[in-house]
Amino acid sequence: MKQVLLAIDTSQGTSVAVLIDGEVAAEATDSNPMRHAENIGTLIARCVEQAKVKPNEITDVAVGVGPGPFTGLRVGIAAAKMFAAGSKAKLHGVGSLDAIAFRLDLEAPTLVVSDARRSEVYFGLFQGKSAKGIPQRLMVPAVGKQAEIESRLQTQAQPYELVQRPVSAVSIGWLAIALVSEGVKPEPIQANYLREPDAVQARPKKVSD
Amino acid sequence: MSHQIRIATESDLEKIMIIEKACFGNDAWSKSNMKSELLAPHTTYLVAEDSTGLIGYAGLSKLATSTSADIQTIAVSDSHRGLGIGRLLMQSLLDFAREQDAKDVLLEVREDKPTPQSLYKSLGFVAIDRRENYYQPDGIAAIVMRLDIEKTAKSAPIVLGIETSCDETGIGIVQGNKLLANVISSSMDQHARFGGVVPEIAARAHLEALDSVLAKALEDANISITDVDAIAVTNGPGLAGALMVGVGAAKALAVSLNKPIYAVNHLVAHVAVDILERGKLETPTVALLVSGGHTSLLLVRDILNDVELLGETVDDAAGEAFDKVARVLGLEYPGGPEIDKVAKDADPKAIKFPRGLSLPKDMEQNRYNFSFSGLKTAVARHVERAEAQGETISVPNVAASFREAVVDVLVTKAVNACLDNQVPRLILGGGVVANSRLREVAAARCAEAGIELRIPAFSLCTDNGAMIASLGAQMVMAGVKPSDLDFGVYSTIDF
Repeated sequence: MKQVLLAIDTSQGTSVAVLIDGEVAAEATDSNPMRHAENIGTLIARCVEQAKVKPNEITDVAVGVGPGPFTGLRVGIAAAKMFAAGSKAKLHGVGSLDAIAFRLDLEAPTLVVSDARRSEVYFGLFQGKSAKGIPQRLMVPAVGKQAEIESRLQTQAQPYELVQRPVSAVSIGWLAIALVSEGVKPEPIQANYLREPDAVQARPKKVSD
Repeated sequence: MSHQIRIATESDLEKIMIIEKACFGNDAWSKSNMKSELLAPHTTYLVAEDSTGLIGYAGLSKLATSTSADIQTIAVSDSHRGLGIGRLLMQSLLDFAREQDAKDVLLEVREDKPTPQSLYKSLGFVAIDRRENYYQPDGIAAIVMRLDIEKTAKSAPIVLGIETSCDETGIGIVQGNKLLANVISSSMDQHARFGGVVPEIAARAHLEALDSVLAKALEDANISITDVDAIAVTNGPGLAGALMVGVGAAKALAVSLNKPIYAVNHLVAHVAVDILERGKLETPTVALLVSGGHTSLLLVRDILNDVELLGETVDDAAGEAFDKVARVLGLEYPGGPEIDKVAKDADPKAIKFPRGLSLPKDMEQNRYNFSFSGLKTAVARHVERAEAQGETISVPNVAASFREAVVDVLVTKAVNACLDNQVPRLILGGGVVANSRLREVAAARCAEAGIELRIPAFSLCTDNGAMIASLGAQMVMAGVKPSDLDFGVYSTIDF
């Protein structure tokens, strides 16, 4: 049976792809970082149509679990969960920075960064790949000020190449396929927020102050 | 001109007989026959009336020992034909037949009357027999028609509704007007230490709860996800980040099932929930929606086409005021139930707290708007003043007096909205409906003013997916065009 995989990532813009047995059958991306809820349905429908498959023929759904700005990131994961439920497909979670790294050669240590807003970046340090092409992490993804991270790596005499580029759903799909074929234990389908929710604990106070 | 349907009583007999004689002439029943029909335990008679009085009636007979129900008669006065009153009466009788678990409904119709025959056909009745010389003395044949009501009920659309506008992840499933499942996962406990809903925490909880809530809803409804005919989702008003989780989920689900999607207004859905309990919505109706996020008065003339926002809070929602005052009084979150608990048996007149936007000038300019911010401050000042003077306050009396002020304003404005607009009914919705004093005062004042009060079951009053599915189902059944896939969310009220 052929594998029909729907891939979704909303850690930056909204990116959707359909891969049939690993071949790209359709791809659609809108880079607007504020319109995930508006775009997600249209882009999925467009890709499914372009790939000339019926929604219930989708066998796998792969989704980028971040890190990424919360509100947009959740839209993609919510969509992936529900699409998998509706089409009775298997669901795979993939790191969004790992998916960017998947397309790089990674011969030298590579610092992959993406916009985390509030003057910070999400970042991961990768070098080398497994036999199936899975990027090897030198550091788990984290969030911070780019200048601080770079100066820290320089202090540690850690060489790196800096890469900042959009994540594509095609990479999410390919990485998911690689992870399955290598038998890597799948990640739980959970948003990798890397930040605590903005919330202050309420304390009783004088309302009339 | 509006008309309404209600159950017939013996006092309608004279007027029914006038229409009966005018409509049926030679075939008309005698007054004594009609009276025994009206009063028989196995029959349901309905009358239609408008401002001119009684304009039609119809009756259904269903014996407990039979799985069939019979349409006994139906008549609409000559001057009111062609207004859809006959159809309305028939649909209402069919609802009663369904409620009494009839499997089929039978009727006889004169062969020489094509108009009623086409009405019955359009409702799904099929001719199954012909009886020669049935109507005497004219010697006209009767056509016997049958409606497979079980099958008709099954063809009502199955709609799955998703609600994520605040801190409840709700998925409900309905079939037409019938509730099949209503599953809610609340993140309320996670907000407790913050004293109010934290939007980011609510949104995270929605994402985590989606799968299990969906699975449980399908299990409760005892359907497969592929049985779903349409998806409905709240796209506002509410917390934007929270709404987007539901919207993303709903859109993908709709595409995966290749089914239409309907974007639904959260407030209107609170009213549509009544259909799940009564089979239909009596209109016009005023709705008072009170929760931690909303305090709104709606005038609903038609649930799909004519909903007017009469007023809303200009500052805090009523539920929010309960939470804030609970904090001032050192009570737990959420404040509503805690205040309700301590206020029990206390004196609601102990302290005269202000009624927001209730001065004569406000009652002109802000007749249906609410304000609770001043009340909240008044409670805080009262407590601080007492503390500063070294007095101990009676928390029960403060709570009861505060609660009384909130309830007084809510009910006064809702009853005004009914009376001003000549609307004889009021529906309550939202979590604050759990407040015992609100229910009490609303019941008493509505009874006094001759207003019918509807309070849906509590699980349908708080935010839930069933109400979204219910409004979605009404849209599907009315042939409303589905939403385009690119709709967004909105956080404030938008009519």
